[in-house]
Amino acid sequence: MMNDLWNEENLYIVAIAVLLPLTAGLVIVQVNPYYALVMRGILGAVAALVYALFGAADVALTEALVGTMLSITLYAIAVRSSLIMRLGIIEPDLPPEDLLQTLRQPLRPYHLRLELVPYPDQESLQAALEGKEVHGICFSQAAVKTPAPQYEIQTRVPRLYQILSGHLPLEKMAILNPAPPLTPANSL
Amino acid sequence: MIDGLSYGLMIVGLIFWFWGTLPLVGDRSVLFKLHSLSVSDTLGSMSMIAGLLLKIPREWPLLVLALISLAIWNTVLGYVLAYCSYRGEGEDDE
Amino acid sequence: MNGIIIAMLLALLIPIYEAYRDSHIWQKMLAFASIATKTSMMILVVSVLRDDWMIGVVGVLILSVGNAALMLLAHVIKRSDEAGLYEP
Repeated sequence: MMNDLWNEENLYIVAIAVLLPLTAGLVIVQVNPYYALVMRGILGAVAALVYALFGAADVALTEALVGTMLSITLYAIAVRSSLIMRLGIIEPDLPPEDLLQTLRQPLRPYHLRLELVPYPDQESLQAALEGKEVHGICFSQAAVKTPAPQYEIQTRVPRLYQILSGHLPLEKMAILNPAPPLTPANSL
Repeated sequence: MIDGLSYGLMIVGLIFWFWGTLPLVGDRSVLFKLHSLSVSDTLGSMSMIAGLLLKIPREWPLLVLALISLAIWNTVLGYVLAYCSYRGEGEDDE
Repeated sequence: MNGIIIAMLLALLIPIYEAYRDSHIWQKMLAFASIATKTSMMILVVSVLRDDWMIGVVGVLILSVGNAALMLLAHVIKRSDEAGLYEP
């Protein structure tokens, strides 16, 4: 088998088999998790081709059904629901769009998405933060009714506090730590 | 005669493939690429399968199944991709 | 027949290069769609070349199932594109 692999008739098998390490290398160099998922799909398609080429029809079918379809869908859902910052807000009192943009900007290098979770009032917002339903909350300070409402952001995740604190203009909003003081051991 | 016809159909399919795939490398919009890709991939693959069908008529149920699934799935896939990519176009950051 | 497979391989290299080069998620998805169709067509051609009925069945199955995986992935990506915005 190894000998007739290298004659000219079967040269295309070698050429196609080279695609497998090539696409596998492309999966590794992807930084964005969604791009890596798409490249994993490409790797699965090429792998199914190579397996079928070597006569392993059952392996090729399994690769296409499980390796490509099932694992990609599951991973896509896992990535979608884990790389996210859930920010609780009060429903009628939405934070302005430019504030959300300044929030999204430092999150972008970490491929984190910002999801807004509306709550009816301040009490349920605080309860959601303490009940770990959301990672942070954003509300305007009702006491200060000066020209523009001052927005305040609280987060209970120390890592999010680290990521956000360097980038946000402090005169516009304040990031407060949750009630227990922020220590490295206090994460999540 | 039949052999030449089947090779001809396969080469026509290959020409379709290259014609539709080469615009993928340019910097055109997603919908433009999707259009040329779905047309050329479907037509090229169908003509290739027709060529294979002429070559081995004995396996016709399998190849006709491939032909039908190719026509239906690629059309639906083109529609789904266009529908999904249309909203995301403006708000992407890159 | 071998020449046709080599030509198909060359056509397959174009979307792989495109998926590597372009950093737009939908362009990558397009390349993925193209690769999925092309690889299953190559499996079909190889099955006819070798007169192997079993590989042919697998090729047809991958032809239809690979597209279903693509549609699922497209919908998940679309949903995560949208969720960055708040719609009341």
